[in-house]
Amino acid sequence: MDQVQHSKPKLLWLQSITCNGNTHSFLNHPDLFSILSHFEVVHHPVLESDYTIADLTALKVPCDILILEGSFVEKGLTKNGVEVSQMIAHYGNEAAHIITAGTCATFGGIFKQKDPKHISGFCFDHEQQTKRYEQFASKLISLPGCPIHPRWLSYVLMMLSRGHDIALDTLHRPVELYGYTVHTGCTRNEYFEWKIDTKGYGLKEGCLFYEQGCQGPYTRGSCNKILWNDTSSKTRVGTPCFGCTEPYYPKNRLFVTRTNMGIPATMPLGVPRRAYLTLTGVVKSFKIKRFSQRLLEYDQ
Amino acid sequence: MTDKKALKRESIIQAALQLFSSNGFHKTTIPDIAAKLGMSVGNLYNYFSSKDILAQEIIKYTSEVLGEKIREVNMLDVSAKEKIHKIVEIYFSMAQEKPEMIEYFLRVYLSNREVFSDGCEGMVCVSGFITEIMIFFDDAVSSGELRNQDFFSAFGLFMGYLGGMVFLKGEGVLPKDISYYIDDISRNIYYALKA
Amino acid sequence: MKKIQIKELIEKIEGEAELDFTFRGGVIEDVRINFGFYRGIEEILQGKDAWDALVITPRVCGICNHAHLIAAVRAIEDGYRSAGITLTLSPKAQKLREFTLACELIQNHIKWLYMTIIPQLEAYLKIESEQNHAMKATYLSSTITRALAIFSGQWPHSSYAVPGGVTCDPTHLDLMQAEALIDESIRFFEQVVTGMSLEAYLSLTSVSQLHRVEADLGRLMHLIGSHGMAASGQSYDRFIVFGESMLSSSGKSIATAVSKVDPRYVEESVQEGTVAKAVSYKKRLYETGPLARGMVAKRPIIKSLHKRYKDAMLTRIFARVNEVGLLLAQSKRLLGEIVVDEPSCTLDMETRCVDFEGYGVVEAARGSLIHRTKVSEGLIKRYEIITPTQWNLSHGTEEEDGIAVHAMVGAKSIQEATFIFRTFDVCSVCTAQ
Repeated sequence: MDQVQHSKPKLLWLQSITCNGNTHSFLNHPDLFSILSHFEVVHHPVLESDYTIADLTALKVPCDILILEGSFVEKGLTKNGVEVSQMIAHYGNEAAHIITAGTCATFGGIFKQKDPKHISGFCFDHEQQTKRYEQFASKLISLPGCPIHPRWLSYVLMMLSRGHDIALDTLHRPVELYGYTVHTGCTRNEYFEWKIDTKGYGLKEGCLFYEQGCQGPYTRGSCNKILWNDTSSKTRVGTPCFGCTEPYYPKNRLFVTRTNMGIPATMPLGVPRRAYLTLTGVVKSFKIKRFSQRLLEYDQ
Repeated sequence: MTDKKALKRESIIQAALQLFSSNGFHKTTIPDIAAKLGMSVGNLYNYFSSKDILAQEIIKYTSEVLGEKIREVNMLDVSAKEKIHKIVEIYFSMAQEKPEMIEYFLRVYLSNREVFSDGCEGMVCVSGFITEIMIFFDDAVSSGELRNQDFFSAFGLFMGYLGGMVFLKGEGVLPKDISYYIDDISRNIYYALKA
Repeated sequence: MKKIQIKELIEKIEGEAELDFTFRGGVIEDVRINFGFYRGIEEILQGKDAWDALVITPRVCGICNHAHLIAAVRAIEDGYRSAGITLTLSPKAQKLREFTLACELIQNHIKWLYMTIIPQLEAYLKIESEQNHAMKATYLSSTITRALAIFSGQWPHSSYAVPGGVTCDPTHLDLMQAEALIDESIRFFEQVVTGMSLEAYLSLTSVSQLHRVEADLGRLMHLIGSHGMAASGQSYDRFIVFGESMLSSSGKSIATAVSKVDPRYVEESVQEGTVAKAVSYKKRLYETGPLARGMVAKRPIIKSLHKRYKDAMLTRIFARVNEVGLLLAQSKRLLGEIVVDEPSCTLDMETRCVDFEGYGVVEAARGSLIHRTKVSEGLIKRYEIITPTQWNLSHGTEEEDGIAVHAMVGAKSIQEATFIFRTFDVCSVCTAQ
C-alpha cells in the first residue's frame, strides 16, 4: 500500500494574480475526490494539503505536476517574501508537466489589463510566446477559460496519471477539448442556421451572434458539449459567449456584436467570409414560420 | 455536365436574355427561343423544364457574371474610393456592352416578382452579386474608409443610384454617353458613404 | 512589560494575509493585517462599456462572483432610473436573482463551515479527525451551484443578470430540476449538518433549545462551548446592513438598537502598509455579514445567542450556518412562486442610456457589497467597489481598531487569534481586489 502511495504523482497548485475562480470551479467537479485519489496533493489553495505556503517558498516541496492559476508577473507579487515568479520557475523546472489553468495563467486574461506591459500568461502573452516558452514548452499544457471547466482539468489530470499522450494544438491546448467551438451543441443552433437574431434578452428564441455579441461561433471550447455544472451553459440561458478561452479575452463591448454595415466583423471559426455571406444571403431570403414565433407555441 | 452541354445551356440563356429584355417576358415564348437558336422545342425542355425556371437561371447567371467581376475588384489592394470607381465602371460598361443583362434585371426580375417567388426568394438567385457587395462594404468599413451603418441603407444608395442611371439610359433620356458620368457618380457615392 | 512581535502567514482564505501580532504580557495587544496583491479591477473597468462591468466585476472573486454580478447590474439599473428610464423588473426576474444569489451564499457558507471552521477548530484543539470534511463541502456546494447554473448557465462567473432582468427563460422542467437539487440540499442540511428536520431547526428561537441540534453543527457548538471559547472574539457590537434581501432589511444595530442607514455616509480610506482600503460609516466601524443581518432583522435565535454571548465567536459562527437553513427554506419557497410566463427581461434592446451614475448594493455571503458606477458617453469613467471584508478586516481608523483586530485583541495565542480571524470568513481577494 505504501509503495502505491509513493508512486502517485505529486500535484502542486500554485496561485499567481487570480480571483480563485479556477480553484472554485474545479471544486464543483462531482468526482473531485476520486480524481484526486490518483495524486498526492502537495499543495492546494483551499483543500488541506501536505505543505504550507511557507514550505513552498523554501523551494523544497516535491512536485511532478504543476498547476498554475493566475496571470504572471516577473516582479512585485510575493508570498512570504518570495517572488511568485521565482517559485514558478523553480517548480516549473521540477515538474514533468505544467498546466496553466485558466485564461490568466495561459494568455494573461483580465488581470493583464491592469499593466499590459508587465503582466502576461506564463508562456504566452496573448498569442505571442514569452521568453519562458522555449524552456517550458515541452511540458506545457494550456487550459484557457475564465474560469476553466472542471472536467477539462480532470481530463488532463487523468490522461497524465495514466501516462497517455495528450494531443495539443499550436497554443498547447488539448484538441479534444478545444477542437470544438462554444457554438457546437448550442441549443440555439437552428436560429444560427437561419440567421435569426434574438429579439431581446430573456428569450429562448433567437441567436445571440448577430446583435448581442455572442462569440460562440469563433471561440474554442466545449462549453456546450460538456455542460457547466453538468447542467447548462451561458448561451443556453441566453447569455452571449464572451470568448473567455481566447488569447485576447476580454475584448471591449462584450454585449454588442461588432458589425461592418450589418455584417458580423468576425466570422465563425475557419469559415471563409465569402462562403458565410453566400449562405447568409440565401437563408435570409426565407421566412420560416416556426422560427418567427415563440418556440413552445408552434403546433399548439 | 459535358462541356458541349454547358455551352449549349449558356447559349440558351444568352438567347433568352435578349428576347426577354427586348420583347418582354410574357410576350416571349419557349418556341421563340428555340427558333432563335435553331433547336427543337423538345430539346430546349431537356435543358430547362419551364419558362419560369429558365428565367430564374438567367438571373443567377447574370448575378454570377457581375459578382465575378466585383470579386476581382475586391481582391485588389486599392482604396475603397478606387474600388467604388471600378465597380461603377464595371456596372456601366456592362450596361453598354451587354445591355440585355442589366435590362433583364431591371425589367424582368424586378417587374415580374411572381415568376421568381418560388425558388428565387429574396436574395437566393442574386447572392453571387450581393455577397461580393457585402465583402466590399465589410472591407471598407473595417479599414475605416466607409462609415459603419445598416447594410441596406448603404446598399440602396449605391445600387439604386446605378440602377437609376441605367434606367435613364434605357429610356434614352441621358444626353451623354453613360461612361461620361462614371467619375462624378463614383465620387458622389464615395462622399455619401465615407467615414 | 515586554513587547513581542510575531508575523504569521494565514493561507487558504481565498488567497493569503499576513498578520503581525504584538503581544504584551502574554496577550495580544495589536494586530496589523496585510493583504497581498492589488489587481486593480476598478482601474481595468475605466474606459470600458458600462455593461462590461457585468462580465469583469464577477472576476473580483471566485467564491462570491455572483454577488458582484448582482451589485453591478443593480448599479446600472439605478443609473438608468436616475437618468429617467422607467425600469421595473418582473417578479419572475426578481425571484430568479434572489434564488441564484441564495445558492451562492449557501455554497459559500458550507465551504466555510467544512473547509475552514471545522478543520481549523480541530487543528486548534488538536483533535484527530477521520472525516473528509472537504468532501461534505464540495458535495453540497456542487449540488447547490448546479441548481444555480440551471438559470445562470454556470457558476462561477455567470453574467446572466442584465439591466431589466435576466437572460434565461426557464420552463417548468428547469424549475423542477432546481427544486430536486434544493430538496437534496435540505436533506443534507438535515442529516449531516443539524441532525434535525429543517422545519424543527427553523423553529428554534432560544439558546436553551440549541442542545437539540446534533450532527456536525451540534458537535461544533459543543466543542466551542466545552473548551470555553464561546464568549471570545467579541468586537464592538455594532452591525450594519445596506442591502435589502430575504435575510434582512437594511439598517444598523448598536447593542440591539436598530436604526436606518444611508449609504451616502459610507467612506473609503487608504490604509498604510496594505493594498486593502478601510471603510467606515460616519467615521465609525461596523461589522457586516450574517451576524449583522441576524441582528438587524432581530431574528429570535440570533438575539438569544447575542443576549448570552454578545458578538462573540459562537454567535458569529452560528449566525452564518443558520443562514444556510434560512436560505434553503426561502429558495424552495421562491421556486414555487415563479411564474414562467412572466417576462424575463423588461428592458428592450433599443433602450440604452449613455450618461448616468448608479449605485448597487447586495447582501453577499460576507455582508454588504456596494458598486458605484459613473458612465459618460456609454463608457465607464469611474467604478468603485466596496466589499464586505473591507468593513470587517481593516486596520481601523485613527480613533479605533478594526472590527476583526478588536476581536483578536486579548487573545492569548496566535492559534486562538487566527481562529477568531477566520470566524469572519476572510476573503483575501475581495479585500485587496
